[in-house]
Amino acid sequence: MSESLFTQLLDLACGAFLLAAVVVLWRRELAAIVRLFALQGVALAVIALLLGLHEDRWGLLVVAVGIGALRAGLLPYLIRRALAAFVAERDGGLTRHGGSEEARETQPLVNVAASLLTAAALTLLAYAVARPLVELDPTPATRALPVGLAVVLIGFFVLVTRRRALAQVVGFLLLDNGITATAFLAASGVPLIVELGVSFDVLLAVLVLQLLTVRVREAFGTTDIDDLRELHD
Amino acid sequence: MVGYTAIVLQVGAVVAGAPLLTGLMRQTRARLEGRAGAGVLQPWRDVRKLLRKEPITPVGTGPAFRWAPPLLVATSLVLAVLVPLVSTDTPVRARADLILVVSLLALGTLALALAGLDTGTAFGGMGASREMTIAALVEPTILVAVFALSIPAGSTNLPVIVAGAADQPARLTSPAGLLAIAALAVAVLAESGRLPVDNPSTHLELTMVHEAMVLEYAGPDLALVEFGAQLRLTVLLGLLASLFAPWGIATGASLTAVLLALLLVVLKVMVLGMALAAAEVFWAKLRLFRVPELLAGSFLLALLAVTASYFLGAEGGGAR
Amino acid sequence: MSLIPAALATATALGVAGVPAGLILPQRVRGALVGSLTAGVGVAGGTAGVAALGGGRFSASAPGLLPLAGAHFAVDALSGLFMAVAGAVVAAVAVYGIGYVAGHGSHGLGSRGAQAVLPLFALTLLLVPAAAAVSTFLLLWELMALTSLLLVLAEHRARPAVREAAVWYAVMTHLGLVLLLAGLSVYAAQAGGETFAALRSGSGAMSPTVRGLVFVLTATAFTSKAGLVPLHAWLPRAHPEAPSAVSALMSAAMVNLGVYGLVRVGFDLLGGGPAWWWLLVMAMGGLSAVYGILQAAMASDLKRLLAYSTSENMGLVVLGVGAAGLFAHAGDKALAGLVLAAALLHVVNHSAFKSLLFGAAGSVLRATGERNLDLLGGLRARMPITAGLFALGALGAVALPPGNGFVSEWLLLQSMIHGLAVPGVTTAIVLPLAVAVIALSAGLAAAVFVKALGVGFFARPRTAQAAAAQESPLLMLAGMALLAALCTALALVPGLLGDGLDRAVAAVGFAGMHPVSGGGLRVRLDEVSASLSPLWVVVALTVALGAVTAATRWASRRQRRRMNARLWDCGGGAPTPRMAYTATSFAEPLQRVFDDVLAPEQDVDVTPVRESAYLVERVAFRNRVPDRIEHRLYRPVLDFLAAAGQSARRLAGGSVHAYLGYGFFGLVALLVVLVVGW
Repeated sequence: MSESLFTQLLDLACGAFLLAAVVVLWRRELAAIVRLFALQGVALAVIALLLGLHEDRWGLLVVAVGIGALRAGLLPYLIRRALAAFVAERDGGLTRHGGSEEARETQPLVNVAASLLTAAALTLLAYAVARPLVELDPTPATRALPVGLAVVLIGFFVLVTRRRALAQVVGFLLLDNGITATAFLAASGVPLIVELGVSFDVLLAVLVLQLLTVRVREAFGTTDIDDLRELHD
Repeated sequence: MVGYTAIVLQVGAVVAGAPLLTGLMRQTRARLEGRAGAGVLQPWRDVRKLLRKEPITPVGTGPAFRWAPPLLVATSLVLAVLVPLVSTDTPVRARADLILVVSLLALGTLALALAGLDTGTAFGGMGASREMTIAALVEPTILVAVFALSIPAGSTNLPVIVAGAADQPARLTSPAGLLAIAALAVAVLAESGRLPVDNPSTHLELTMVHEAMVLEYAGPDLALVEFGAQLRLTVLLGLLASLFAPWGIATGASLTAVLLALLLVVLKVMVLGMALAAAEVFWAKLRLFRVPELLAGSFLLALLAVTASYFLGAEGGGAR
Repeated sequence: MSLIPAALATATALGVAGVPAGLILPQRVRGALVGSLTAGVGVAGGTAGVAALGGGRFSASAPGLLPLAGAHFAVDALSGLFMAVAGAVVAAVAVYGIGYVAGHGSHGLGSRGAQAVLPLFALTLLLVPAAAAVSTFLLLWELMALTSLLLVLAEHRARPAVREAAVWYAVMTHLGLVLLLAGLSVYAAQAGGETFAALRSGSGAMSPTVRGLVFVLTATAFTSKAGLVPLHAWLPRAHPEAPSAVSALMSAAMVNLGVYGLVRVGFDLLGGGPAWWWLLVMAMGGLSAVYGILQAAMASDLKRLLAYSTSENMGLVVLGVGAAGLFAHAGDKALAGLVLAAALLHVVNHSAFKSLLFGAAGSVLRATGERNLDLLGGLRARMPITAGLFALGALGAVALPPGNGFVSEWLLLQSMIHGLAVPGVTTAIVLPLAVAVIALSAGLAAAVFVKALGVGFFARPRTAQAAAAQESPLLMLAGMALLAALCTALALVPGLLGDGLDRAVAAVGFAGMHPVSGGGLRVRLDEVSASLSPLWVVVALTVALGAVTAATRWASRRQRRRMNARLWDCGGGAPTPRMAYTATSFAEPLQRVFDDVLAPEQDVDVTPVRESAYLVERVAFRNRVPDRIEHRLYRPVLDFLAAAGQSARRLAGGSVHAYLGYGFFGLVALLVVLVVGW
């Protein structure tokens, strides 16, 4: 693979990666958010694939496939299952509002315009922070490093500002995606065993969160965590 | 050989002379107060009388009560050996440390205090409590005064200090010397239980300090206690005499010098005793809680002695 | 040379083996076996220490033992001294402990947890002086703190006060750890390495500000461990509530390590410093000495009294260490070596008599169930051996001849008195004050131990529990006897330590001076002419005592039999034991004299009869002497922290968004700072 082709494709993939994160801030429906997350997983797998092809490392290719399977396939599936459970519940009951309440995010803590501006600011911050790192070793991969950091910050922001539990889970997963992307771009990935461990952790986290969300819903009738405010000292 | 003779003479003089000194002091007081007095030999007669009485052990007391009087006399005897009254050139001169002397005095006090507590009576406890309070507060004075005395001599060894003072009388008339004398005099009054700290002839239990501890003693034990107190007083006055009026003390191995020194020290102690007795006629006993003020004052004097010795001594050729 | 590593390895093996032994063994054999293992640890460690005192040296590194930094060990004469002391105390107290837990069931010190932790605690006491790198030292230090905390908690089921004491202890020891960590980390970072060798060589290049900072931090931490004012509050709480064997170990071996740390860091690693360091140290030491013994004078709880006495003695030791630094700074290394030798000798003597005293106090507690002196009395008839051993320990504690405390105090006083040879106005002002402090604390110590011995052991029992006391079991007496033998040896032949003491002092850089020399009997100082012969004093006293007794017997030879008679009762009937002076009443004149310092609190509560206010139904009187430094220093700090915590509760509003937001904003702020400061 020629250098310029590699650079172009890598930049494309990173751009898609970042765009997915930003659009998550824009969309309100949970189904859309989950789709965007799946898209981001694909972009991440593509980044790993490109790096593997460029450096002729079979291990990286295997990892890329694994990541794609996990983050673009399994995890969105699990979240969609949780979502479907809420919708099914609703339809089984008496209320028949168009679309389920749970499927939509209510008014987020920070409105959409402000969120997008914040995302821009965080991206700039990520570029500023990563500058010394990039200057250490200016390869095409490391030049794309700020993208990873930006997604980390945006994912954290999503985690903080969403009201629905499932949206927060997606934010957490965005955070993890960003960390993985940073690892790949900075150091061509982490050792296999670390990657396996992290993936397993993430999987487990999602399973637990899914279970927890269902229980919260059953106990309190809502997963809007602001309503859970009574749990203070 | 001469050194051993000196020690034997010294101890003999102290042992024989302690009750006589007390008798002399009482006689002086009596005369000054317009009484006839009982005579100089009366304390000896008292000791003899008490030794011939039945030994008595109060019910409920223990070994501390039994052994305190002999221990008190034993410490006083060891002190009589150590303190250079007659000669500075004795076989024990390397062991006669001033701090050791002070500590042996404290040991005697401690033994009596424990005996007072061992009786289990209120008076015994009261005496012990007061005595230990005074002893605790007099320690800083004594040790800082020792410090002051050791600066010009360069050592805390008693014979060295005394010999140095005998050689250079100017030390004693310096401000440091005078302050040290004053501080040590007050400390001696406190340690030997004389007015104004404690009245040895009081009969009112609530005013007692030393007497309350020994209220339960009778017979030979009481003889030992009284004798021990007299020995302590003699040794302390002898110590004062040696430290602050050391002229005439034998510094070599000459028998005539030793005998002369013996005579002189007897005279000096007699004079000191009579002066003390005369002063006591005019003093009243201090309230117990005024005693710390007196002791604090003497501590201040000792501290000033040290600083004067340093600052003024530094000008006059070094602190050592 | 190979004795030291072999002994250390043996000690480690025995100590580590003790942990499963304590957990697994059944109660019948647990105490005996674990006690024997602990005694073995003590003997092995003590052997290593003695070998180091005799001139052996040892150093080793085990890079893989600890992550990141590896473990480094080094034993020189200074560590050897502390190891020898700790080893001797551990061995004797372990024997004592076997007797203590036998028959006590599986509660308190005999429980699985406590027995498992005890050998480990003993092992850390021996290994801390052998550590030669910051991480090793801190690890062992913390292990020592944790194991001692667990041991302090051993009797928590029996008394609720134990938990509060343990909390105080835990907080203060970890406060010390934080300070120590900060100080040593700064030192290691500035010196460019974390082994003691690197610290030693790198200390010269550091700026005076950094050196001062390191010294202040580490000195505060070490003096807190030694029980000095102002961070002393854990000592009078933890020692009474711990089982007596543990109190003995803590007072006689653990607090020494505070002194060890101070000497090691101040003299060896930092290589001495400006005068203000040492004046600060001397101030802390002097203040602790006087304050500690005053509080001991006011205490009527026997173990609290002993704990405050530890504080006093450590204050005297640190006073000596400070004086050594002052003299070294002024250039007189000979005198500095002398005063340091005196301080180290006092450490040894204090360990001997304090462990003996705590052992006796433990025997009393076990026999009567009482710690309060006001409720004891008459124990010399029921427990004669324990009373005699307590008296021997008390003789050492009052620093009078022929006790062992006298020798080290004499040496300390001598070195202070001759310190005026060092030029400078500072020494001229400080040294007389130091002498006065030593003298006052010695005098008050005499009063304190007369109180403890006289009120607790003499006269007649004041309560039924005291009257029902039985002598302690054989093993407890054996342990105490070992310590008594040590005290006696130190009192009569202190010169046995002479060479080891020289080497220990030489190990911190006062090399080439021989402050304490002479044969096995005398302490003769070469530079200054003063000498003391404790053995001569004992012989003289014995001879005089014999002479007096013989003379009295002869003089009253006609009267043979001793008669018993009643005590003087003023004609009002036999005095009851309750009429005897109590510890509180004994200390009352002292309390009045030091009223301003102690600020006692008195409460009189009069309840009149309902019908008439002139008739009294009930009067309640309470007298308390609080710890004034605690009041003035700790209360405001604790109140401030509580208020800060209360106001910080507003941060925990219950909103998960807020909690997440804290994290997010923290991260962003950190990144911004990173960017701006780059």
